[in-house]
Amino acid sequence: MDEEKTMEIDKKSFWYSEWSFPIMVGIMAAGVFAGTHMYFVYNVGAFNEVAIVAMLKAGMDGGSYGAAAAFGASFLFARILEGSLVGILDLGGSILTGVGIGIPAILLSIGWKAPITNFWLSITTGLVLGLIIGGIITLVRKYTINQSNATFGADVMMGAGNSSGRFLGPLIILSATSASIPIGIGSVIGAVIFYLWKKPIAGGAILGAMIFGAFFPVSLK
Amino acid sequence: MTILIILLKSILIGGLVGFAAGMGAARMFNAPTVQALGAFRTLGEMNACEGDPASHFSFGLGFFFNAWASTVGAGAFTQDVTHRVIPNWAASVLLLKDKRVEKTVHDPKKMAIAGAIIGIIVVSFLNTTASAIPKSLQVTAVKVLVPAADLLINIVMPIIFWLAAIDAGKRSGLWATIFGGLSAMIMGNAVPGVVLGILIGKGVDELGWTRITRVMMGAVIALFILSGFFRGFDIQMIESFKLQVPSFINNMHSVFNIK
Repeated sequence: MDEEKTMEIDKKSFWYSEWSFPIMVGIMAAGVFAGTHMYFVYNVGAFNEVAIVAMLKAGMDGGSYGAAAAFGASFLFARILEGSLVGILDLGGSILTGVGIGIPAILLSIGWKAPITNFWLSITTGLVLGLIIGGIITLVRKYTINQSNATFGADVMMGAGNSSGRFLGPLIILSATSASIPIGIGSVIGAVIFYLWKKPIAGGAILGAMIFGAFFPVSLK
Repeated sequence: MTILIILLKSILIGGLVGFAAGMGAARMFNAPTVQALGAFRTLGEMNACEGDPASHFSFGLGFFFNAWASTVGAGAFTQDVTHRVIPNWAASVLLLKDKRVEKTVHDPKKMAIAGAIIGIIVVSFLNTTASAIPKSLQVTAVKVLVPAADLLINIVMPIIFWLAAIDAGKRSGLWATIFGGLSAMIMGNAVPGVVLGILIGKGVDELGWTRITRVMMGAVIALFILSGFFRGFDIQMIESFKLQVPSFINNMHSVFNIK
């Protein structure tokens, strides 16, 4: 990683500057918010985990949007704070969960559906939200990180974030084994193949479970 | 006809998301000098691939299958599309032409362009093929993936962050425990609270109670009060203690009437 220091960073150019950050966040948020539009209209295309999308789904099916709104909004807030302090805005918490789930849930809960149901409006809404978020972070950076040398525990969070991804594989196998015996066997075989092939076992476990599930279907109760 | 509209929208969405994901990932290699958009796990994983195009590609591929299964099952892409598939595949494509990471993977412009192309392909593929998958596969995916993802997000991730906070020192452990417990009750998930606890704890360790850390603390408290109010946590709490809910609290809630 030492040679990168020798690379010249032109902080005035669009690609490295502070002012292009809000634009980048705006572009990302536009796409992600439109992804939520896709999910709302076609039931496919939300940029998030099943469990988090399920909270939005609960509201769409006539339940409460409260869970999705509070979860998404609080993640967004925490990540804006963290992102400006550590130099990396967490895409998952801020944009995917905050802008993609939390803000649509708030809008839907007050009955304001147009930004989600209209494609072009959804892109515009996302873009504006992203520009605001990016702008806030650029401002906070100016008054905090550029004035102190503290890391605010970035290393701690980095370590925890890295290790949590590893748990998914075993969890999928455990949940496959409780779905049915063939699906469980399938996911174990898939995981073993992926492990020997030196790939993350989560992918193999899912594929194996799905292949066996196709031959020995289970029903959603 | 619907499938054509889905395809056209997917091309636009994939281009936007891919562009920003590629640019954000490349800027991570220059953080914190340059503000980046991404994730710590993405940075760690991309470093782990050590500039080998095959490693980047197969790493992305594993998670692409995962994302595909989840899209088929529940219509949700998983966060891996932006965190892992797009950045790693963009890196892999660039590295095929030039092995020097500092000229390719660390260059926001090249990564943005490669990311946009990969994003268009991936998002279009996921959105259009999901409807073509047999029903029994979808049922399996939901039965297997949803409980696993629930466990990961509600139990495993909070515990990992919590233990990391406790190991990081007395102050971050204390605040992570307080905020983690509160956020599990108020927000339904402990991770945001634990992360805020680490921020405050380590911030005070390094800076003391200065203006910055006090403002952060105030913002965190305001966050808890607001989200507690909007989820109706205050009323639930008073009722759980078998007390009468004061009428002014009910009145305040009816003003905001959030379903």
